[in-house]
Amino acid sequence: MLAVDLFVNGLIIGLFYALMAVGLTMVFGILKIVNFAHGEFYMVGAYTYTLVSLVLGISPWLALPLAAAAGALLGWATERWLMRPLYAGYGSWGLMKDEYAVVVTFGLSLLLINLVDKVVGPYPMRGPSLSDVTRMAIGPFMMSGQKLITAALAMVLLAGLAVFIKYSLWGRQVQAVAQNRLGASIAGIDTARASSIIFMASGILAALAGALLAPVINPAPDVGLFPAIKSYVIVVIGGMGSIPGSIVAALSLGVLESFGAVYLSYDYRDTFGLVILILVLLFRPHGLFGERAREV
Amino acid sequence: MDYPRHPNFLRDKLAEEVRLSIAVLAVLALLPLGISSPYWLGVLIVSMYFAMLSCGWNLLAGYAGQFSLAPAAFAMLGGYTTGLLAYHLDAPLWIGLPLAAVVPGAIGLVLGRIVLRLSGPYLALTTLSFAEIARLVIYNSIDFTRGDQGLNVPGIVDDRTLYYYLFLAALCATVLIVYGVLRSPTGRFLQAIRDDEIGAASRGVDVVRCKTVAFLVSCAICGFAGGLYSTFARLVSPELGIIAQTGLVIAMVVIGGMGTLVGPLVGAMLVYVASEMLRDVGNIQMIVFALLVIVFARFFRAGLWGLARGLLARRRAAASGGA
Repeated sequence: MLAVDLFVNGLIIGLFYALMAVGLTMVFGILKIVNFAHGEFYMVGAYTYTLVSLVLGISPWLALPLAAAAGALLGWATERWLMRPLYAGYGSWGLMKDEYAVVVTFGLSLLLINLVDKVVGPYPMRGPSLSDVTRMAIGPFMMSGQKLITAALAMVLLAGLAVFIKYSLWGRQVQAVAQNRLGASIAGIDTARASSIIFMASGILAALAGALLAPVINPAPDVGLFPAIKSYVIVVIGGMGSIPGSIVAALSLGVLESFGAVYLSYDYRDTFGLVILILVLLFRPHGLFGERAREV
Repeated sequence: MDYPRHPNFLRDKLAEEVRLSIAVLAVLALLPLGISSPYWLGVLIVSMYFAMLSCGWNLLAGYAGQFSLAPAAFAMLGGYTTGLLAYHLDAPLWIGLPLAAVVPGAIGLVLGRIVLRLSGPYLALTTLSFAEIARLVIYNSIDFTRGDQGLNVPGIVDDRTLYYYLFLAALCATVLIVYGVLRSPTGRFLQAIRDDEIGAASRGVDVVRCKTVAFLVSCAICGFAGGLYSTFARLVSPELGIIAQTGLVIAMVVIGGMGTLVGPLVGAMLVYVASEMLRDVGNIQMIVFALLVIVFARFFRAGLWGLARGLLARRRAAASGGA
């Protein structure tokens, strides 16, 4: 049964990778930049959840929406104050897009890590669990209650996002802006609002991933680094900007790491992603699901 | 093949920056006459180490527009090249130090060949992953690298003042190398690629080759700086390659002025000395620098050097207007 257990565990880890990677890939889709502070959205979510429920003594179930709100606020503020110059009336900035985005989001990441380090302290904390059940049987699998709840919530979030993007008015506007910002604005779509929505959604997903994993990861200021790196790898593998691609890549990476940690090497499990990344860049540079770049 | 000469404004701009760089380096050469405290000499030595990293990173990011997030990781690899050679093979430093430039350069060449075919943010993504994973591998390969305990590295000389001048010589060499690249056709191609990659390619510039050369030189500079630094610290550990160190390098270049020869020098000196002072105020240095990076990137894109230039130009204009 080991193989099945590994597979299921890998899928669960993959779900959380997907929560991170989907936000990153949506931001890339709509602004064509990479947010290097994405891991810190995750970290802020984990801290908000842990601090709210430990210090204020609020039930962890109520702390979850608060963590989501923190993520949304952070995403909104990032977009409003740091990203908007990229497209709102600063003609020459388009040329320097990558330069500005890398520097400013990397600076934001450093700022958040060091602020939390200074204000809350550098030591890892232990987040409270949502469920006390340590082992229960789901069919043939043994699983902790926490794992089951978080996995279910992660699935609900991803499904909710898919429905939102595909069917809601705002979601369709977001798709339009991702395809062609100028065209969308000519058609009367508020592109600034679409960007704002996407940054907030990406902040919510990352913050909830951090909050749901808080009992396992023990939040520390630099806890977002590896999840962020995983999601960069996933986003490239899935094809930059492709949401289904990033979900498939996330689940695959989760399963692969889960098997690799047992059959290859536990210490080096985090390196598998880089190996795959290099292989993908060598043989399928636009990712598994990505469109080939159309440059004019 | 014959390439057209520099357009004059580029050459004049570079010449002005070269004069200023020489002035900064000359000031650095005179400083030990006034400073005898070993502590402050040490601070200046470390800031020259960072100045080398900044120059290397600036060549790639500021002039070629390619963003690596691994300057500190390549310095760590350089340090480990020197350290491992001395630890396992008792290799003398005259072998170990040059290899500290060669090995990271070779790694950069391989990585660059793979990633730089693509434009866009791929280099930043890949180098960030590479940086953390290289650190993880060194950290976990305890049998070979002694993990987070680090490796002892032999020193070159014992005297701090002598070390200071060694670092200064290395820094001068770094500035010369960057200047050499900028003066060569490749340097102008790089700036063309930064400003318009498709345009440059359409005029026959071998975009991938130029970017790879810039990445290779940048990695080799960082690696050598790391090797030299590890002989000074007598220790190399995975701490050398943490992301915060890369952040410090980026802060130095952005604050000093990206895409200029003298900006990274001034930025590195100011930022590192300020960080030593802020350490006493309560370890807020990284918060301050991260804020400064955001503010400079958002509002003062030319950095301190650009601000100074603007002020000078305005004064000159006012003076000639009044006359």
